[in-house]
Amino acid sequence: MEKEFTPKIVGFLCNWCSYAGADLAGTSKLKMPPSLAVIRVMCSSRVDPVLVLRAFLRGADGVLIAGCHPGDCHYEKGNYYARRRFALLKSVVETLELDSERLQLSWVSASEGPRFQQVVTEFTEKLKKLGPNPMQEKTSM
Amino acid sequence: MPMEEKIGVYVCECGPNIADKVDIDKVVETISSLPSVNVVERHKLLCSEDGKKFLKESIQKNELTRIVVAACSPKQHEVTFMKVCESAGINPYFFQLTNIREQCAWIIDDKEEATERTIRYIRAAIRRVLYHKALEKKEIEANPDVLVIGGGIAGLSASLLLASGDRKVYLIEKTKVVGGKVREFAKLFPRMEPCSDIISQKIKEVENNKNIEVHTDSEVSEVLGFLGNFVAKVNTSENKAIEQPSKQAIKEKGLENKELELKVGAVVVATGFDMFDPKQLPQYGYGKYDNVYTALEFEKMNAEGKILLKSGKPPKQIAIIHCVGREKVGYCSRVCCMYSLKFANYIKSKLPNVKVSHLYTDLTVPGKTYQKFYEQTKEKDVEFIRAQDIEITESNGQLTINHKGTHNPKPLNADMVILSSAITPSSDAHKLAEMLNISQGDNGFFVEEHPKLAPVSTSMEGIFITGCAQGPKNISDSIVQAQAVAGKILSSIIPGKKLELEVKTSEISEALCIGCQTCLTVCSYGAIYFDEIKRVCVVNEVLCRGCGNCVGSCPSGAASSKHFTTTQLHQEVVEALR
Repeated sequence: MEKEFTPKIVGFLCNWCSYAGADLAGTSKLKMPPSLAVIRVMCSSRVDPVLVLRAFLRGADGVLIAGCHPGDCHYEKGNYYARRRFALLKSVVETLELDSERLQLSWVSASEGPRFQQVVTEFTEKLKKLGPNPMQEKTSM
Repeated sequence: MPMEEKIGVYVCECGPNIADKVDIDKVVETISSLPSVNVVERHKLLCSEDGKKFLKESIQKNELTRIVVAACSPKQHEVTFMKVCESAGINPYFFQLTNIREQCAWIIDDKEEATERTIRYIRAAIRRVLYHKALEKKEIEANPDVLVIGGGIAGLSASLLLASGDRKVYLIEKTKVVGGKVREFAKLFPRMEPCSDIISQKIKEVENNKNIEVHTDSEVSEVLGFLGNFVAKVNTSENKAIEQPSKQAIKEKGLENKELELKVGAVVVATGFDMFDPKQLPQYGYGKYDNVYTALEFEKMNAEGKILLKSGKPPKQIAIIHCVGREKVGYCSRVCCMYSLKFANYIKSKLPNVKVSHLYTDLTVPGKTYQKFYEQTKEKDVEFIRAQDIEITESNGQLTINHKGTHNPKPLNADMVILSSAITPSSDAHKLAEMLNISQGDNGFFVEEHPKLAPVSTSMEGIFITGCAQGPKNISDSIVQAQAVAGKILSSIIPGKKLELEVKTSEISEALCIGCQTCLTVCSYGAIYFDEIKRVCVVNEVLCRGCGNCVGSCPSGAASSKHFTTTQLHQEVVEALR
């Protein structure tokens, strides 16, 4: 039997909220699919669009950017900038002929372990339906 | 790929926490087979004293230049292992902690999958650490003196505590006298002790304290700099001679007005509050009917001696209306219920036969003493009516309060009405916010850096907020907060001790910067300035907190964040996806 497709997700988590939320999910032993590679950044606003696009070019099936809830940013308003860049980036992703649903922005606070689990699980399910990143095949040709 | 490095990888079992869920033998075997790795070791508990000793000795014995530890969250032990690296003689930034406990062992059910993911994380960390750069601690000299803006109860309290810690304090007050609005109060709730006892004592202490330099009739016009090194300009028109001329330059700017230049290490904003103007709500009849007073007007009338109607006759029925403007401002001011109860006590002690009625929507009497004060006041034959949609009319000098009461919706007659208005931000708060580069919330009060983690700090390091400038509060809470500010300052700037700066700041390459100044507009800390001559943006490393927003915004790739460079993150991503 063919092994079920497990999407590869790159997750840029902000140090203060989402990374801490992921830690809480861990200490609470909340089970998740083994799909996520966490990359810690200090703030979601640090996520340079180039980093996201490179992740897709390197075969990521999905990219998750997670930061503090609006109004809760450790650096005051970094997450608002992240949100704007995300909106723009969605259209750039489309021009690469990728479904923009492969890029997701979620707010996860340090106290939201269950929410982190939910975000990862649902995003994984969504990517399973979308299938592997089509660029993977193109670039490997 | 950077030049040849000697890499050591250490896998922590974390007791059974990781060992039970991840096949560590397989991890060690796989990682050992990687050509770039020199040493791979496992340990039962790397953060233990024994574990740290083992790590240090192994680094030294193998003369390693790069270290990867696969263990718990960096929030838990990153600093621990960085210190071990330092003690072993290698730069602590040549280290990467990868979190295989919270992100593998504890969340992935299948052991094989958890093991596979662990290997992936370690490979990514190895790749990343190869691109790490050595970073050095930076320190600057700090000025221990403090500028306090606002001479109300909060400003006075902060000044006194700072001065008792041997700090020079410059207290700047825009009116003619210090003491703030509290000066006008006759008594204080809930003990009804004379206010002068407290405020006069504080004022005297401040005036007699040789560490505090008070400037009345003065306003701060400019504050530049950063924690430990601020330069403030103060316009002063005070008449009194300054007894001890400050060492700072005093420039004459006309006959009366002088401009002082003060050098300080920290700034305290204690600029107080204003009151909601009930004219904005015509249903209360304020300004239209003679005997409708604001709380401050009534406080003053009582302090001056007699409670009288405009006609000069004593009142027979007084209504005190709570929550004036609460809906409009969108918050409860926390003190109005209490000062309204205080007013009832004023009235009952001077005019015991006057009928006093409170009209309130919700009573706010929190804490260990207030409930009792309310009960005691109620016993003095004071009426409490829960009322909504209040509207006041007048005919022949008689005021009628129409309302939709929950139990007693009958119109109420009174010959005097006191409006307990909301506390609002000081009218010049926005000017100060702009000058100091600190934020105001939706309601206009200054915003703390974090409500729980940093409740008296602001987004600008070294600038603190206290008292009603931060939000409505009573005198006790203002003093508590002022002392908290003093404590923060006394513990963060210590005379003779240098300040340690954030190491992981941003930097902007002069060669790559196109001078578009996008980074400058996104920075929350004013940490980037534009060099007009070179036409490039420059990071002030003292102000930078290292969020990396400028890096995310830079269109030319000139900005980068130390220890989170695009290359480092990219390499980590590449290996995690392989």
